[in-house]
Amino acid sequence: MINYALSMLFLPLLSAMVTLFFLRKNGNLASLLSVFTAGGILVLALLVIFGNEEDVLAWDTSWFAMAGWELRFGFLIDAPARLLLFVVAFVGFLIHVFSLGYMENDPARPRYFGGLSLFMFSMLGITLADNLIMLFVFWELVGFSSYLLIAHYFNTEEASLASRKAFIVNRVGDFGFLIGIILTYWTYGTVNLSELADLADFSPSLATTTLCLALACGFIGKSAQFPLHVWLPDAMAGPTPVSALIHAATMVAAGVYLLLRIDFLFTDQALVLIAFVGAGMGLYAGFCALVQKDIKKVLAYSTLSQLGYMAAAFGIGAPGLALFHLTTHAFFKALMFLGSGSVIHACHHEQNIFNYGGLRKRMPITAITFLIGVLAISGVNFFSGYFSKDAILLWSYNFNMPVFVILYAGAILTSVYMFRLYFITFEGQPRSHNSSDAKENSILMTGPLMVLAILSILGGYFSLYPERLSSYLSPDLSVFSELPNHMWMVVLGTSAWIIGLLFAWSFFGKVEDETDPLAKRYPAFFELCQSKLFFDEIYRFYVDKIQDPIARFIEVLELLLISGLMVRGSAGLAALFSMLAKVCYVGKIHSYSLWFILGTLGFLIYSLGLFE
Amino acid sequence: MNPEHILLLGSILVPALGSLLFFCGFPRDENGLKKLSYLIFGFPCFAALVLFLKFDTANGYNFEFLYDRMGLQELGITFHLGLNGVSSPLFVMAGIVGLGAGLSAIHSGAERLHLYLALLSLMLSGLMGLFASVDLFFYYLFHEFALIPTFIMIGLWGGRDRRSIALEITIYLTLGALISLGGLVALNVLVDSPKFDFPHLSAALSESLLLDSTASKIFALLLFGFGILVALFPFHTWAARGYDSAPTSVSMLHAGVLKKFGLYGLIQIAVPLLPHAAESWSQWIMWLALGNIVLLGLVTVAQTSFKSMISYGSVMHMGYCFLGIGACSALGAGSAVMLMCAHGLSVALMFLLASFVYKRTNTSEMSEMGGLGVKTPLLACFCIAATLATIGLPGFGNFWGEFGIFLSLGESGNHLPILIIAALGIILSAVFGLRAIARIFFGNESPELAEYSQKFPVKDLSRIEILPATLILFPLLFIGLWPLSISRHIDHEISNRYANIDYESTSGKPSCCPEDEDSSSLVPPPVE
Amino acid sequence: MVTITPQHFLILAFILVGIGFLGLLIRRNVLLMLMSLELMLNGINVALLTFSRVGNNLDGGIFVFFIMTVAAAEVAVGLALLVALYKKRKSVLSDDMSLLKN
Repeated sequence: MINYALSMLFLPLLSAMVTLFFLRKNGNLASLLSVFTAGGILVLALLVIFGNEEDVLAWDTSWFAMAGWELRFGFLIDAPARLLLFVVAFVGFLIHVFSLGYMENDPARPRYFGGLSLFMFSMLGITLADNLIMLFVFWELVGFSSYLLIAHYFNTEEASLASRKAFIVNRVGDFGFLIGIILTYWTYGTVNLSELADLADFSPSLATTTLCLALACGFIGKSAQFPLHVWLPDAMAGPTPVSALIHAATMVAAGVYLLLRIDFLFTDQALVLIAFVGAGMGLYAGFCALVQKDIKKVLAYSTLSQLGYMAAAFGIGAPGLALFHLTTHAFFKALMFLGSGSVIHACHHEQNIFNYGGLRKRMPITAITFLIGVLAISGVNFFSGYFSKDAILLWSYNFNMPVFVILYAGAILTSVYMFRLYFITFEGQPRSHNSSDAKENSILMTGPLMVLAILSILGGYFSLYPERLSSYLSPDLSVFSELPNHMWMVVLGTSAWIIGLLFAWSFFGKVEDETDPLAKRYPAFFELCQSKLFFDEIYRFYVDKIQDPIARFIEVLELLLISGLMVRGSAGLAALFSMLAKVCYVGKIHSYSLWFILGTLGFLIYSLGLFE
Repeated sequence: MNPEHILLLGSILVPALGSLLFFCGFPRDENGLKKLSYLIFGFPCFAALVLFLKFDTANGYNFEFLYDRMGLQELGITFHLGLNGVSSPLFVMAGIVGLGAGLSAIHSGAERLHLYLALLSLMLSGLMGLFASVDLFFYYLFHEFALIPTFIMIGLWGGRDRRSIALEITIYLTLGALISLGGLVALNVLVDSPKFDFPHLSAALSESLLLDSTASKIFALLLFGFGILVALFPFHTWAARGYDSAPTSVSMLHAGVLKKFGLYGLIQIAVPLLPHAAESWSQWIMWLALGNIVLLGLVTVAQTSFKSMISYGSVMHMGYCFLGIGACSALGAGSAVMLMCAHGLSVALMFLLASFVYKRTNTSEMSEMGGLGVKTPLLACFCIAATLATIGLPGFGNFWGEFGIFLSLGESGNHLPILIIAALGIILSAVFGLRAIARIFFGNESPELAEYSQKFPVKDLSRIEILPATLILFPLLFIGLWPLSISRHIDHEISNRYANIDYESTSGKPSCCPEDEDSSSLVPPPVE
Repeated sequence: MVTITPQHFLILAFILVGIGFLGLLIRRNVLLMLMSLELMLNGINVALLTFSRVGNNLDGGIFVFFIMTVAAAEVAVGLALLVALYKKRKSVLSDDMSLLKN
């Protein structure tokens, strides 16, 4: 079984290396290799998940040892790992297939598919890792592959800036994560997840809020939560399937997965903080999404807000629900991103939704599957999002009212901006040549859409899950099914999406031109949302006006003080001394001999003791 | 004399003899020159790899070779070669970087190529010798062998202001070498050791009554002497200017390998011999190292030229090695050795790639480049890999070194502020590294570059350029993916050297580890 | 009749060295300066022999042999240098040789 897991992990690395070394010029072969690799991963993942009976599959080997400290390379394939493994392998495979169609005319396909394989390698590493350091290694590697893929169109300024921003902002989060890991090691004496779990049970007094918040920095960076959320919308500069795979379905969700993996370390204060950060992000990102005109940015902000839901679920003490929402979100968000990719591909890389319109008639499959995604994320009854999101809402209703209020407002907003997106893109009349010429894409692209659409409907039916996948969710879900106020929640949840739908219809049902109807009616509110509370500006200000000037100032200081004062200064001192000494060099042998004799005499006198 | 001895001696003598041949102007024709230099630069690398594979971690020095009829025995000096767990990875690193630098030199098209290759192979001979020496006299002597060609080569083939830079670097490095020699000699004289090498010095020290204050003074000599050689803040100004101006092969060998001399001396000799003195200086070491990391990190961010950014960046990362030393623990020191190996490779690679970039753009100013990645995807690929290795991405060797050092800082809680400030460096290095990549390879072409590339079309890496770059990148990846391959050598030797030191809180395991025997006290009392 | 004591020899030696020294300081001709040097050396030889005699051992005598050998060599080298200098500069005056000035 371990051999399956090992080959599953290293298969994509091998594929990436082969692509890098041998297939740089051969796009067709590289893409086929990558897709077959993804297929292989899926098969191996299914084997790993369903092939054995043990509840926890653990294995490790020595990886690095230094002076009594040993790091082991190991797998911990337990219940949450199995579910994430399934999501990563399955969604990953579908997105690889979709990429075949989406990238068919791209000259840099080998680089793209090599990057995807590298990403699969790193993401599987995160999923399987059995200790925090190994997790951190793969954590940084997903960051790197995300950097590479965002920079796919690197000759545009936008991608160049976005890739750098994504990596650096993630590094800021990783900085905290790194310190958290080191603190964990010196507090608990181990970084192995299962040992940590035992120790944390054994002596709960060791857990401190500082420690778990430091670890949570990793989550904040990777899952793009406040205040490090700024990189995710920009990361949409990458190719759309990448956004679907990395920046919606898997990598950003890895942050939530990290929290689940270390949930036993969290103190109550830290949990409350995370719940509010998550809920706040759920609302904030909703407002941002409401005013975007780039189809991918709308989806990016909606990803931020859904990640906020997962964080909030974790914070209010329901990690199972967080993972449940992660799973359904992976399905419907990947679906919508791929749908947007299908639209973008058909409309010749037009991304402004106000230039679309009427696409439902031209691209029926894309439109219907996209609509299913919209219904799922808005929480329309009996779609997957309804089950996972309303579970979180009900849980917070019973345990933490303030969080519920924020999340509920966020749920209404979600429905508004999602239906807005759908209406503007697919309904009405085409508003540009690009959209009036659009044609439905090939089966390579619509196939994954249909599969994901089915999953977006069925993904919420928890009882359909095989036991091997659902074992992590069951405890929380069984608690959930016994919570009071179920009926009341159904009413609330249903009214949330209906309010959103009506609101969206009244505003965006008939868009005629390129101006946003919201901007016409409530310009002040629109401006406020569009400013995104000035986070980008603040960071820009920090980099341009604080960090860079300080760097230049220190450079000047270094030149002045160290190179100038200390080095040149001591050279000057030596020069001064030499000027004094030079006076004695008159160039006459007579004076030199006089000095010599006088010196000898002086020495003689000194040795005779006449000075004393 | 067995085969290992021949390889060990050969790795030093072959480049030395080669240097003599080149110096005399042999071989006369260009083709023969190339072939011979492949052999001469290739042999140490080959020998080092073979020795590394045959290396046995079980005992201290392997492949010991002793020649004691030199007439210097009275002073305790013998020609004593051997490799131990700390020196063998560095020995291999020196061989690999030496071959890379040699390959780039052969095809550099420098004027007076014979003299250039002669000096470079003399330098290589010294480098191989210094890591293979057991005797401290020869350790020092080989360092000087490697150092003197550096000055000459910067003076003859350097870039802007080469004269004044050669002068500055000469004065600085000679001063540093002199101070550290003073420390070594003082140690030898004061403890009256029969032989001038670590095992004897260590044995003699345990019997001698060296006062703590004297030990502390000697350690200060060693620290600052070696510190100057390694560009410890604030004695770093020579490094950035020097590497900026030096020809590529010299930058590679000096920044990659020769600079590790001082760290090697501190880790292998100074700290294990004078542990308490080292502990009393550890705060100094750490704060100066933070100067390297944070202040020079910021200076690196402000650089506009690619080569000077690499130079400052390489000096900045030396700060991590010093932190590992300052942590005064086996974990810190061992990780510092890891980082030294990886840093040597990655910095050499960066300088090599910078020369490739320069060849294509005819400028070092990053603002005058841009969009190069479209025309040179492979060069971009190598550059991204090298930059990410430098900034400590997992998967490359540097990460393990940096991580181990951070971990060693957490060992005793009072280094926590230092840990946090030092970890800021990983953000700073990401900032300057990625900025450079974006400015050179991403975005649009600058007008200057467009104009230049019209005259001289930009081509991607040729096979001759790929070879040295791959040669250096591959081991870097190898260490990164399988750190145990070198860490078990280092681990063994470092644990031995640092074993007898009784610090207050160094055990490799945290003090409050509940796995200890007395963990029963942590069990909550039963509820009544 | 005044007995000649070792003091007389020492005074002679002192006078010889003094003459040589003054000659070295005053003369501008390098050839004469070399001769003054010889004079000084010989003065020292006298002193050494005196001490050798007084002390009843051969140390001083042996030294004298060394000094004479070295002086011979020195004169040879010195004159050769002088000839070479003369060829180059057409002068044997020390004032014309002031390259070390500043």
